[in-house]
Amino acid sequence: MENQTIRKYKLFFAWNDDKEEAWLSKMAREGWHLQSLGFPGSFTFTAGEPREDVYRLDFIINRKDYQQYLQLFRDAGWEHVGEVGGWQYFRTRKQGNQMPEIYTDNASKAQKYARVIMPLIIFLPIFINLATRPVSMESRYYDFYSITKLVMSFIIMLYTYAMVRLLVRINRLKK
Amino acid sequence: MANDKELFKYLPLTEATCYILLALIEPLHGYGVMQKIEQLSKGTVIVGPGTLYGAFSTLEKDGLIIKVGEEDRRKSYTLTSKGKSILQEHLRRVEILTGNAKLLKGE
Repeated sequence: MENQTIRKYKLFFAWNDDKEEAWLSKMAREGWHLQSLGFPGSFTFTAGEPREDVYRLDFIINRKDYQQYLQLFRDAGWEHVGEVGGWQYFRTRKQGNQMPEIYTDNASKAQKYARVIMPLIIFLPIFINLATRPVSMESRYYDFYSITKLVMSFIIMLYTYAMVRLLVRINRLKK
Repeated sequence: MANDKELFKYLPLTEATCYILLALIEPLHGYGVMQKIEQLSKGTVIVGPGTLYGAFSTLEKDGLIIKVGEEDRRKSYTLTSKGKSILQEHLRRVEILTGNAKLLKGE
């Protein structure tokens, strides 16, 4: 018999990834185990026995050592469930009272959030350029440009907000 | 060998970095390092795979450790002479520090 699956949509912010981890663990306790990830915010769960699983998210976009990276986590007892947009989803069984962690000090955890900021910084100048490019009123694409500028301005605001939240998180970890 | 400027940059080593370097006195792959640290530290220090992966790249980039092999997607590293001299200097200072523990015991 095929296992029952459900799909859930839920958005989490990068600086609140521990909330996402807690939610995935809660689903596991209720017998729903993360099976795969679709586009960001889409989760597929498969039905099973309730389990005390610990989920941890890492962020890595450097593909050079990806297989070695996954092997290290596997050796350490973490199952790689999937990846979306650089976010790596790992899971392990909770043993006793000890909470298994992929990051065991604040300095390395801060580095993870610093890696999340990097792509934001790289794309920001492109968006700023698109948002501030002067548009001639006579251009036949005037409407299109105006909408693009509006969308870009919105993205820049969102980006800036995300960067501030991530920097706050990093600073708190460094204290 | 590490010069004074480099020593200043790395010292004092964090407990995790110190144990990673200690474990790499002989070549080991990632999971071997994790097990060795748990054993050397009598369970007082646990290094997770995320922390270790980041430490490996930083230490390799800075020339404190070097890759010596790869088997089944597991890279082995060992200390360079620079890594060794930094570790030695760190341990020398820690020994002086722990020597001062007698102050607390009121001897």
